[in-house]
Amino acid sequence: MSIVTVQLGQCGNQVGHELFDIICSDALEGQRKLYSTASCERFFHQTTNGELVARAVLIDMEPKVINQSISRAAKSGRWRYGESSHFSQKQGSGNNWANGYCVHGPRHRAVVEELVRREVERCDRLAGLMAMMSVAGGTGSGVGTYATQCLRDIYPKSFILNHLTWPYGTGEVIVQNYNSVLTLAHLYQLSDAILVHENDTVHRICSQLLNIKHISFGDVNGVIAHQLGSILQPALTADSHGVYSRNPLGELVSALTCHPEYKLLSVCTIPQMPSSSMAYSTFSWPSLLKHLRQMLISNTKMEEGIDWQVRPPAGSERTRSLTGPSFNTSLANLLILRGKEVYSAETGGFGDPALYTSWLSSEEAFNLWKSPVSFNKYEKCATLVSNSQALLRPLDNMVGKAWNMFASRAYIHQYVKFGISEEDFLDSFTSLEQVISSYGQLN
Amino acid sequence: MQRSKASVRVEVKQVIGALCRLLAATGLESVPTPENFRRAKFGGGLEVEDQFWQLLADILQTSSSVSCEASAQLGGATDYRKLVAAGLWQTGYHADWMYGRQGGEGEEGGEGGRCSSRDLLLALGWLLATGKLEILLTQRVQQLDKTLLTPTPVNPPLPSELQLDSASLRKLQWLVGCLRYQGRTLLSMQEERTRLLHAVVVASLPSSVSSSSDQSSTVLRKDCVCMQQLCDLLEAYLNWKQVEKVFWTWMDSVVDCHLTDPVVKRPSHSPNTGARVCHHGNRGLEKLEDMLLRLPTGQEAQRRGRGDVEDREEGRERLHGGSDSFCLPPPLSSLPCLPCRPQAYRAMLQTEKPVRHGRLPGEGARGGAENPDELPASQAVQELLQTEALLVERRDRQRLANRMQLQKMIGRLDQLMLIPP
Repeated sequence: MSIVTVQLGQCGNQVGHELFDIICSDALEGQRKLYSTASCERFFHQTTNGELVARAVLIDMEPKVINQSISRAAKSGRWRYGESSHFSQKQGSGNNWANGYCVHGPRHRAVVEELVRREVERCDRLAGLMAMMSVAGGTGSGVGTYATQCLRDIYPKSFILNHLTWPYGTGEVIVQNYNSVLTLAHLYQLSDAILVHENDTVHRICSQLLNIKHISFGDVNGVIAHQLGSILQPALTADSHGVYSRNPLGELVSALTCHPEYKLLSVCTIPQMPSSSMAYSTFSWPSLLKHLRQMLISNTKMEEGIDWQVRPPAGSERTRSLTGPSFNTSLANLLILRGKEVYSAETGGFGDPALYTSWLSSEEAFNLWKSPVSFNKYEKCATLVSNSQALLRPLDNMVGKAWNMFASRAYIHQYVKFGISEEDFLDSFTSLEQVISSYGQLN
Repeated sequence: MQRSKASVRVEVKQVIGALCRLLAATGLESVPTPENFRRAKFGGGLEVEDQFWQLLADILQTSSSVSCEASAQLGGATDYRKLVAAGLWQTGYHADWMYGRQGGEGEEGGEGGRCSSRDLLLALGWLLATGKLEILLTQRVQQLDKTLLTPTPVNPPLPSELQLDSASLRKLQWLVGCLRYQGRTLLSMQEERTRLLHAVVVASLPSSVSSSSDQSSTVLRKDCVCMQQLCDLLEAYLNWKQVEKVFWTWMDSVVDCHLTDPVVKRPSHSPNTGARVCHHGNRGLEKLEDMLLRLPTGQEAQRRGRGDVEDREEGRERLHGGSDSFCLPPPLSSLPCLPCRPQAYRAMLQTEKPVRHGRLPGEGARGGAENPDELPASQAVQELLQTEALLVERRDRQRLANRMQLQKMIGRLDQLMLIPP
């Protein structure tokens, strides 16, 4: 069972590289043969010399980042990218979604499809495809959306997970909200699940938990890769009958995104700390899970600054007015525990029906994966993938800002000239308003 | 011209060959050669006929249109043929020869419903066109491919009172999504299994030659033979599907041949059999169509009833009785509508003189006067004139009565203002 990763644009290629690096070093560490074999089969194929080659396709409209990723991977000495599994051009998409989606995407469709097909054919069994990209720029968002559409056409029966990096709220690119709205609205129709990391949140983790003074993109990407890796590494699931699951993406989406109106997944991981202090820390499962649960219901993305006042509503007061606005209702949650004494961990708190929407029973809404193998040097590690209202507010902000710009028709001509009409914008706004309203109605 | 004809003939022969291979691959034992198909078109000899009897019987039996037990009980060839006719009848096929009486009193050969091999060929065409071929194919595939799952209908326990509020709807949507994902997972598992099976087969092929006595290898070899047959079958079907059109064009020519060729004996029905049969390819059909085209249109009159003679008599009585009372006349439409009434009849051609004749055209010509359903045209004209006279008379009377009634009413209502229309 293997996952083929498609790295798109600058962000996608950097995060993808970090992810493979963490997965590879985690898989090769220590004496844990089954885990290591399962992990390697999932993300790498082995050459006749025993080299690990990532099951990945790298796509960008500029050569710089791809070349960096390839050479850094080769330097690591543990793994590398495939020699011909990348594609780049000389000129970028200019942070314009329309340029990526309408021009670059269609122009290079055949090459991209061929690269992906080659990787897919190397797998004994395709567990699914994972496209990694940001939503702010032009290539990752525009070409990424187009590529996802092609993948959906070619592999209609495969699981497709999109990993999206959301931009800083303060803005890196002036039209980032346009690009985000267009990307999200399109991916909502194509993807099986959309896993989101917000740059703002990850940045805070870097500064407050990891105590990094001058935060670089590399640090941010490292945190994202750590969280992603803790989801994607082999685990024992309810369906896997005591062996490592062979259907990671299928079980992920089956646990979380069965409903077509709810596809946005957020992630939080505990603990996260600088590697220097890890040696002096001990963790207990009850304390970790207590924190994680409170992070979930108070919608806090990290251990610091958890609001302990938020409580799940009692059965009688399950109405909109009485539930505090800060309570985060979930549709479905997937808890992944890795490390020592994992079988003794008590997870009943996450099965509480009060955490979930009224129309889905907590047995269906809550799933648990476990692995007795510690992950990425953390003795114990708990990750919660949540389909909840956690992303409602940032999404609402994003759509609101984009709408304000659209109302004054700012920069619209830049999109129209590549073939994205105002109608297309309106369609995208409408579909995201529907998503916002669906999530709003969860409680 | 000559050459192209010859090439068409060759092509047809190849196409029929493809059909024969497909029929043989579906497991039918006696399949005629393409050459015998050609001979059958021109009414080939007894030998060809026997082959087609056998083929039809096989197809009907294998597709379980007739039961095997029934055929096992039968001994004689005539019984056997009866069974085929019965099977064809069940599939909806009708032809003259199927209704022939078996027995000694017929004119020649002792069989009333004698059929030629061309009739049998046409029957075969019918069976192919009704999808028997696909049924045979499906059955054969199920025999050969034991890994095929036949879906068993599952009735999940649904809550008895199914609520349709938005919450249950969302729950249902969630469950549907769940099922869709499960389906995809199963599909990918099946793909993986296929890959592994392929790897096993590839790896075991050379070794199975050496270890011949091994039991598992015999099973494998059996499976291999099955797979080979399956491939052949599917390939034959594909080949057939590609050229099927040519076959049907040829079958058209067989039908044409059947319609025009005077050499073939026409089944001679005795006029007393009384069975109403739709004649396939009967020239009478063309004549009838011709007649129908020449008829004046105006079918709406038929809706008002058949217009039998008794009906008309009743009508007349009603007219007489009705005029005496003061009640208003029934709406005009309920009266027998004179000018268009004859359209309730269908015209039928008679050898000597044309007759009007009710209901469906029967077969054969019978004396028009004897049959109460039939009505010669001259008589009909007479009747129509009579009725017209009656109606005119009735109309006048009714007018008179109306006037009288109106005057009475005026007498009663002094203040009534009458405004002319």
